[in-house]
Amino acid sequence: MNRKAPLDELSAAVGRIMGLLLTEEKVNDAVLHLAQGIRQAIPGSIGAGVSLLDVRGNRTSTGFTDEVVAEADRLQYELRQGPCLTAWASEMSIIVPDVATDRRWPEWSSAVWGLPIRSVLSAPLMVGQHALGALKVYADAPNIYDDGTARLLEQFTAPAAILLSHIQGTETVKQISGGLQAALYSRDLVNRACGILLARGSGTAEQALSELMTMARTQQKSLIDVCTDLVAGTAADGR
Amino acid sequence: MAFESYEPEQRHKLQAALKTGDITTGELWLRYFSIGGSAGEYEVDAYLQGLFSLPRLERDLLAMAANELLPDGKGPRAPYSDELPPMEPGDG
Repeated sequence: MNRKAPLDELSAAVGRIMGLLLTEEKVNDAVLHLAQGIRQAIPGSIGAGVSLLDVRGNRTSTGFTDEVVAEADRLQYELRQGPCLTAWASEMSIIVPDVATDRRWPEWSSAVWGLPIRSVLSAPLMVGQHALGALKVYADAPNIYDDGTARLLEQFTAPAAILLSHIQGTETVKQISGGLQAALYSRDLVNRACGILLARGSGTAEQALSELMTMARTQQKSLIDVCTDLVAGTAADGR
Repeated sequence: MAFESYEPEQRHKLQAALKTGDITTGELWLRYFSIGGSAGEYEVDAYLQGLFSLPRLERDLLAMAANELLPDGKGPRAPYSDELPPMEPGDG
C-alpha cells in the first residue's frame, strides 16, 4: 500500500556498509586523487594507480595517473596475474626490481614488454583483516624501489584504506536515502533529550518521552524543536 | 484487555488526518521513527488497519508524527490519548 519501506532501506544500507560493497562512481574520484599523491611522493615513479577488488579478485574501481599504468593494470586483471594481484592475495608488499628479468608472472611480464615499465612496487590496502585492493607505482628504469620505498608506500595504505571504506559507506547511504539519515539524526536527538530529562529525575525513558511530547504540545512546537532547545541547554523549563 | 476503549476512535481519527493530509503509511512511519517511535513499519501498518494494538505512548507518537506532517490548519488533527475520554464498556 505504500512505497519502498524505509526499514528495508535501512537494512540495505547497513548490509552494504557491512559487506563493503562498492559504489563505483564516487569512489573513483577519491581513488584518482590518491594515485596522484602517491606518484608525487615516491621519487622515480612515472605513474601510480589504485585498484579496489571484490572478494573474488575482480576489479571494482580503479584510479591511475597515466595511461601506461592503466594498460599495465588492465593486463594484470585480464591475465589474472601480476604484482598487484599478488600483493592483494598475499596481503604483503611486492617489489619488482626489474620486470625484464623477473620470473614470477611470465605472461604479464611479456605482455608489458612494449611498455616503459621496469620497476614495480605494490602494497595491499587492508581494512582490518580484509584486503580491499592494492596501491602500485611504476618506474621506467630498473631497481627504483626497495624496502625503504615499500615502507613509504605502506604509510599510504592504512589511511587510504580507511578513507576508501568510509567513502563507500557514506556514498551508499546517500544514494539510498538522504531522508533516512535525517531520521536517524533526529531520533538520536530525541534520545539525547530523553537522557537529559532522565538525568534530572524523570522516572523512565518512556516517561521522559511523554514529558517531551507534553512540552511540544504546550509550547506548540515540533518535538524536534523542543529536543534541540533542550540539548542546546536553552530550555526555559526551570527544573 | 487487547484494546483500550478509546483506541479505535483514536485510530479512526488518525486515519482521517492521514487521508486529509495525503500522508502515506511509509511517510508516517518515518516521521514517527524520527521522533523516537519504537514500533516497526509493519506493526504501524497493522495498527492503522485495526489488526494490532499499540501502547498508549506509541499511539500518541503516531498522532504527533501525523500532526507534524499535516499542513498548518488543514483539516482534522490526530487526537492524543488524553484528549479522548474513555468510553463506558459496551459503548461505541
